[in-house]
Amino acid sequence: MVGQNGTTPCADLEADLVLLHYGDLDDNARARLQSHSANCAGCSAYLTELAALLPLTVTTDAPPQEFWMDYNRELRHKIDAALESKSGWRSLTAIFTPRYVPVFATAAVVVLALTITFGNRLWSGKQGASDDELSQALPVAENLEFFRAMDVLENLDLLKVMGDGIKDAA
Amino acid sequence: MACLAPAEELEIFRRPLHSDASTRVSAKGRASQLAHSGDEELVALAQQGDRRAFEELIERHEQKAYHIAFGFARDREEAKDLSQEAFLKAFSYLKKFDGRSSFYTWFYRIVVNVCLDYKRRAKRTAAGEFDETIESQMEPSHNPARPLAPEQHVLAGQLSRKVAVALQALPAKQRTAFILKNNQGMSVREIAETMETAEGTVKVHLHRAVTALRQSLAELA
Repeated sequence: MVGQNGTTPCADLEADLVLLHYGDLDDNARARLQSHSANCAGCSAYLTELAALLPLTVTTDAPPQEFWMDYNRELRHKIDAALESKSGWRSLTAIFTPRYVPVFATAAVVVLALTITFGNRLWSGKQGASDDELSQALPVAENLEFFRAMDVLENLDLLKVMGDGIKDAA
Repeated sequence: MACLAPAEELEIFRRPLHSDASTRVSAKGRASQLAHSGDEELVALAQQGDRRAFEELIERHEQKAYHIAFGFARDREEAKDLSQEAFLKAFSYLKKFDGRSSFYTWFYRIVVNVCLDYKRRAKRTAAGEFDETIESQMEPSHNPARPLAPEQHVLAGQLSRKVAVALQALPAKQRTAFILKNNQGMSVREIAETMETAEGTVKVHLHRAVTALRQSLAELA
């Protein structure tokens, strides 16, 4: 606390000196600190510096009267808008109130049951084969074609043999 | 913007206050009655759905709320938006106000929180950029009766910029304590209540803020 060289304040009093500058100390503390500062060059210089510096940091703004009229009008609109939006939300959320839950649940069950019952019938006819089924069926179909072609060839051979037999007979 | 309370908390304010001619006659008397009511009474009325009571609270606190916001934003339009946002939040959460602290402490806490949120958002978007248009609106404390000469105006602008940058660099709690004390002249006790912290902590924040600003603005003193 003591022994400052005149350029720096007493370290343990610095925070209180800030409050002294702002006038935010009780009477006893203020009297004690003022008495100390009167005899301490460091603390005295610190107070002088605060008095010069801190007022520079205060930024004031004094809007005209019209500003406050606009301010109030705008704020009222914002409050109304908040009420309106909440009112909209309320009507939307009102349908999810507990008393409607059984109705929605019943409707959902009915829709599900109808979908399962009629859906299979309607879709089974329209539904095409899946890709796997197609990939399995296609080679078989190709084989069938091959065997059919073979049958035709065999038939041709048969006709030829028969034709030869008739010729021989003639 | 403001996150609002459940609809029923706002719904009470939709009830008309003066719905017919007979009540309109007594509107003046009622306004006078509200003007003489304490904050606590007005809050109680507003909590019961009396919108006029809330408007009276707005009229009482709008200037201080605006000036606190201006201390943070240093811009007229921003300060207007921030203080209005604080009123909207107060309006929405009024039902939850339990009266453990005074209304103004509770409300200024909302104002400070809205301003700190704004600063956090601004930091993310502008990374501490200082707008020249803001500078033109700012005038460091001086006697309004004596207009500044052009060269003084330039100096005032430079000073404002340096102060703004120095304030911006402070941690949020130090900046809050400093603005509430330096700009608003609130007592350490009021600041402590507003910031929901101990008076000793406020003293520390204030001291650190002043020390940091002293270093930043050393050449101006």
